[in-house]
Amino acid sequence: MGTKNIPSIKEGIPSSFVQFALADQLINICRVNSFWPLTFGIACCAIEMMATGCARFDMSRFGAEVFRPSPRQSDVMIVAGTITKKMMPGIKTLYDQMPEPKWVMALGNCAISGGPFAFEGQYSIILGADQFLPVDVYVPGCPPRPEALLQGIMELEHKVSGWKRWKNPEAA
Amino acid sequence: MIVEKTKLALLNLFPQSEPVAAAAPAPLQEEGEKKAPKKEPPRMNGVMERDYNVHGYHLDAQVSPAQLLDAVAIIDDAGFFIESITGVDWIKEDQLEVIYDFSRYDFDLCRVVIRTRVPRSKPVVPTITGMYAGANWHERETHDFFGIKFEGHPNLIPLLLPEDADFHPLLKDFKA
Amino acid sequence: MSAPITIRPDETFTLNVGPQHPATHGVLRVKMEMDGEYIVNAETVIGYIHRMHEKMGELKTYPQFLMNLSRMDYLGALGYSHGHVLLIEKAAGIEVPERAEYIRAITVELNRIASHLFWFGAFVMDLGGFSPLMYALQDREYILDMLEAITGSRLTYSYYRFGGLYNDVDDDFIDAARRFIPRMRASLKKYHRLVTGNIIFMKRLEGIAPLTPEIIRKYGATSAVARGSGINFDVRKNEPYSVYPEFDFDVPVYHECDSLARYMVRMAEMEQSLRIIEQGLDKLPGGPIMPEKKKPIKIAPGDYYQAVETARGSFGIRLVSDGGKTPYRLKLRSPTYSNMHLFDESCRGMLIMDALAFMGSLDLVIPEIDR
Repeated sequence: MGTKNIPSIKEGIPSSFVQFALADQLINICRVNSFWPLTFGIACCAIEMMATGCARFDMSRFGAEVFRPSPRQSDVMIVAGTITKKMMPGIKTLYDQMPEPKWVMALGNCAISGGPFAFEGQYSIILGADQFLPVDVYVPGCPPRPEALLQGIMELEHKVSGWKRWKNPEAA
Repeated sequence: MIVEKTKLALLNLFPQSEPVAAAAPAPLQEEGEKKAPKKEPPRMNGVMERDYNVHGYHLDAQVSPAQLLDAVAIIDDAGFFIESITGVDWIKEDQLEVIYDFSRYDFDLCRVVIRTRVPRSKPVVPTITGMYAGANWHERETHDFFGIKFEGHPNLIPLLLPEDADFHPLLKDFKA
Repeated sequence: MSAPITIRPDETFTLNVGPQHPATHGVLRVKMEMDGEYIVNAETVIGYIHRMHEKMGELKTYPQFLMNLSRMDYLGALGYSHGHVLLIEKAAGIEVPERAEYIRAITVELNRIASHLFWFGAFVMDLGGFSPLMYALQDREYILDMLEAITGSRLTYSYYRFGGLYNDVDDDFIDAARRFIPRMRASLKKYHRLVTGNIIFMKRLEGIAPLTPEIIRKYGATSAVARGSGINFDVRKNEPYSVYPEFDFDVPVYHECDSLARYMVRMAEMEQSLRIIEQGLDKLPGGPIMPEKKKPIKIAPGDYYQAVETARGSFGIRLVSDGGKTPYRLKLRSPTYSNMHLFDESCRGMLIMDALAFMGSLDLVIPEIDR
């Protein structure tokens, strides 16, 4: 997902006299500064998601505290928790109902690969959100700390727009 | 004492047998003995008292499925609340056991466990939802996990498993 | 208040609440048959987060199962771990040093306050007030910092071991806990001023969803659901375990049976937990936190039961052992399962907004229902 999948309106228009790149970049930077997540907390990781939205970790510094209950109004689906076979059609429906452009963040070990519930003889869970959804960012942890969720948001920001919020301290 | 009263009331269901003394705990396997554990005879229907400090409950009554409703009626009249219902798969003895836990709200503590065994090939137990409405979900869950049919249950459809599930995961011979 | 309504059976429609819904506290689905805004019939569908804890109980060895208990009810995780380790210690005959039991009691009560704070924030948010959530979660962060320093995790602790704990508390923890108690008392006063006397709050909750003691007995509901209807039942007092007999605390019981009574019970429970923590810190003995010699876990064939009072009610574990390395059957009796069950029968004839307030007052955590 991301910039590559946005239907391009550039075909057919010679690039000599209409330049879209700057507008695209600007629009993408505006997009990443105002992600609207879908309130889709399934299990324990949902509590850390709520804690991130609250006063101490404050997701609204990054523009992402506007949790929308309706998929029609959101653009990031944070899959926070274990996905069961019973729940999977519901998640797919919610994902399909989100309008483009949309992204998916897999929060926690269960959404990445089944987590601690992937054992020999398991009969009830799907081993990770990427079995049926295109996941953009994986945030590991059981549950991941709120700072890890914020890092995931920042990684998603970079993935969508190419713009980094601040310089990588290790690269400096 | 409610423990004595309930025990005597439950004993009325078993006119033939004598009251059994507190059951001695089964011997622990020592390190040296690697022989197969000697087979204990199957437990007869009856009431026994258990050591609360070891087992965590006071009275243990094993009944036949036909006596189940009478036993639960005694417990209901005495004012117990239903704690849970669950099942155990004794595959070696080819039986399924249904365990009912009851306890009290007042300070007159008494935990009662009622058990009943049915053959694995035809696991049918009467429902107690007529007396305890809370048994509804517990019985559905036991049916989900073990396949035990509770006859008379108003709505015996899967509770925790998907609606179209036809497997019973906690049976010992279940393969995912 | 719900006036008696005449149901027009040909005019009802089905409204599906959940599994993705801001007010259902997890993946819970309620199929409601509605006549306008009144609920004619409700059917709860669960199982959307069935994570096979009981199956894992049969496949994992006793120590391997320690992590599962935190994932069942993640808000009050230490209470569940406590029940599990007490059961295995009872069945295997393992002695626990006194210091470990006191630390367990202190951490369980801290966790209980954290769980109630989260319930408080989420409950008032369901009714439409967003600010208390911010304050409540901020207070909860103090507790989480304290517990993280000794256990290593914020939410899903695996702190207790069979025989004691794996990490001792240090002076930093004791100082932080002592400083936390007056701060929490001031916060409770703030919450009561902010929320409890609020006229909208009272009108939303007073008289709503009355639960008679008889229906509570038939469903086996415990915790604030029972204590808000006049039933004086708290496993810590009725069936004492661990070091709770050493503490002097009250069990708040309200007799009005409505949602406001359940709310008041939980707020009062937070104050009582603070008392227990204070006494625990005063009485904390020195000594080891694990027994001297590590005893292998050998459990004689038979079945064993242990009940503890968690933030959500009476949690029971039943262990059926055949003498092997793994349990033969491990049944987890979850309190929210019994509490939620009475929703279907009780919400008939209610307005949907009252039904959602009722659901909030039951303090639901869905992964605990589904296990």
